[in-house]
Amino acid sequence: MLRLEARQRRLLAFLLLAFFLVYWIPFSNTFPDWVPLQFGSFRIYQASKIAMWAVVALGLNLLTGYNGQISLGHGAFVAVGGYTAAILMVDHGWPFWATIPVAGVFTGAVGFGVGVPALRLTGPYLAVATLALALATPQIIGKYDNLTHGAQGISIPPLTTPGALDGIMNDTQYVYFVAILVAAIMTFIAWNIVRSRLGRAFIAIRDSEIAAQAMGISVPRFKTMAFAISAFYAGVCGGLYIQVVNFVSPQSFEVIQSINYLTTIVVGGLASILGSILGAAVFVLVPEINPYINNLLETFHLPTAETASDVLFGTSLILVMIFMPLGFAGFARRLTRLQPPLVMGSISNFFEQVGLKMRTIRSKPGGDSGEGPAGRPEKRPPHASDGEKGDGSS
Amino acid sequence: MELFLQQVLTGLATGAVYGLVALAIVLIYRSTDVINFAQGQMAMFTTFFAWMLLSGAFLGRDIHPLQYWLAFFLTLAFALIMGAALERIVVRPVEGRPILTVVIVSLGLFSVFSGLAGYFWGGQPKGFPKPPEVHVAGIKFFGSGSLDIGPAVISYHDLTIMVVAVGIMLALYAFFQYTPIGLGMRATAQNPVASRLMGIRVGNMLSLGWALSAAVGAVGGMLIAPIVLLQPPMMLGVLLYAFAAAVLGGMDSPPGAVVGGLILGVTENLVGTYTDAKYIHVDWFGPDMKLTAALLVIVLVLMVRPTGLFGRKHLRRV
Repeated sequence: MLRLEARQRRLLAFLLLAFFLVYWIPFSNTFPDWVPLQFGSFRIYQASKIAMWAVVALGLNLLTGYNGQISLGHGAFVAVGGYTAAILMVDHGWPFWATIPVAGVFTGAVGFGVGVPALRLTGPYLAVATLALALATPQIIGKYDNLTHGAQGISIPPLTTPGALDGIMNDTQYVYFVAILVAAIMTFIAWNIVRSRLGRAFIAIRDSEIAAQAMGISVPRFKTMAFAISAFYAGVCGGLYIQVVNFVSPQSFEVIQSINYLTTIVVGGLASILGSILGAAVFVLVPEINPYINNLLETFHLPTAETASDVLFGTSLILVMIFMPLGFAGFARRLTRLQPPLVMGSISNFFEQVGLKMRTIRSKPGGDSGEGPAGRPEKRPPHASDGEKGDGSS
Repeated sequence: MELFLQQVLTGLATGAVYGLVALAIVLIYRSTDVINFAQGQMAMFTTFFAWMLLSGAFLGRDIHPLQYWLAFFLTLAFALIMGAALERIVVRPVEGRPILTVVIVSLGLFSVFSGLAGYFWGGQPKGFPKPPEVHVAGIKFFGSGSLDIGPAVISYHDLTIMVVAVGIMLALYAFFQYTPIGLGMRATAQNPVASRLMGIRVGNMLSLGWALSAAVGAVGGMLIAPIVLLQPPMMLGVLLYAFAAAVLGGMDSPPGAVVGGLILGVTENLVGTYTDAKYIHVDWFGPDMKLTAALLVIVLVLMVRPTGLFGRKHLRRV
């Protein structure tokens, strides 16, 4: 078998992934029928959604996973980004590609503003303060309707493929490429942040604020910066949101959305870039299991209900947390460590231990009866007096 | 003045509801350090159990409908068992893990209870009775009707909720302060290892915390259901307010939870009344922003007191 060095293996994995993302997902519906694993336009749309969701998950993970600040309010930041982009595009005629970075930067500024008061809060208090942000956002959007179009929301004209790419891809594929490109850039940035001075400062603060301070890290500066960067990611996600979904309204950003973002990163894996992306994929694909569950219930002649999938979702959430403490990313890392010799080794080790135990159990009674009385005096401490010896034998 | 008094009373009534659920949240937080997002759904689930006993439709079978108070206390027993069982089965395995892990487990429970309630009893809203009248020494307790307090009017049911919330709060305070078990629970919350060394059954204390919390939630659910109608999402709004109330009062203080709830209820109600176009003439604010205003108050309070009004600041040795 071909043996590759770790670096080559990583390159190969990267190329395979790139091939899958850039060629297989968008274009597999044009392949001949016998090719397995084809993705129709709905699947391509879902993939765009995963890319979009991964962006906000990355940002939240930088804040919560790497910096240790819990936010239950990221739906509010996504809303700010989405509305910024939508208003610029619909009311001011900006091109879409310009709205995404502007939405990100503006939301980042808002995040900075939230991060400053958040400095005083920790744990549940910070969680509820950010939850308050998420709760109030739909109301505020609804109130200032001359700017935000109020409760009826804003429809965004769908992106159309530009002329140069016209024959190559349709609109869904174009949106997919936009989303995947943005997600790739944001992943690259996050990758670099966590491996730079900035990321190390985030982690140091998470692990111990006092120790970080002693090392010369300005805790308030980096904590607000984490908030700003995280909000920037959420804003970019908002900018993508309006291109993928083509509609924003106050109802798009209910509280449950913010809670879902947090669940995404914990299930995917805290302080893990891979985890953010895996979590996003899980969350977008979860509704897919719904029909299967109802089929299963029907086969057992049980009444079906839409809420049956909630029970399964909740149960699996609990099980994942119990059995995969580091989320899917941690689980994947453990899987990659399982190499064939290692597996065999641990299995044989297990049997050896079991065998050993069985041997000792079997040998115990025989050994006791055979050499018990004779062996006992030898085990006595050397200092034992003669009087004691006599007591024992009598 | 009349309007003001009336609005304060109504606010207190709503606030008492928030306070009741906040009490349940605080109970779990102080004994196990868990923010329980499933609190509202647990209360909803137990209230459905009570409804089943009251209506006689027990999981598709017909049973004899029970009297209100019998059903009430059976439901409390059910809630106690359910809370303790949840702690044993679901929370125990993640004990000591990072706070977020436990939060996600509680979100999982949230989903399970919503799903189960929808699966067993469907999504249609159901009416739930108010507690029947009880006369003690010529004074009427519970029941419907209303009572005049000066120029203002308050319904008996709102009054019931307020009295029950304050009553439970006092009972819990006495329990924690003056009973050996309450002392054990406080010790467990403060330092589980030392408590275990002192001979306190730490595991039992944690289970008891969840059991009590589920029971308090059940009382809250049964009192709120007549107002909002019994349905799976009935506690969602209340739960979020209850969180806010618990945080406002300080996550580890039962009196704080009730006071926080009352402040929140009154603030929200007064803002809703007095920002009407009749009183102020600005278009950037109005009664539809009352939730935002109440939340703003909480954030401002937290800016000044980061652990809430009655919360204790945790000092850590480095």
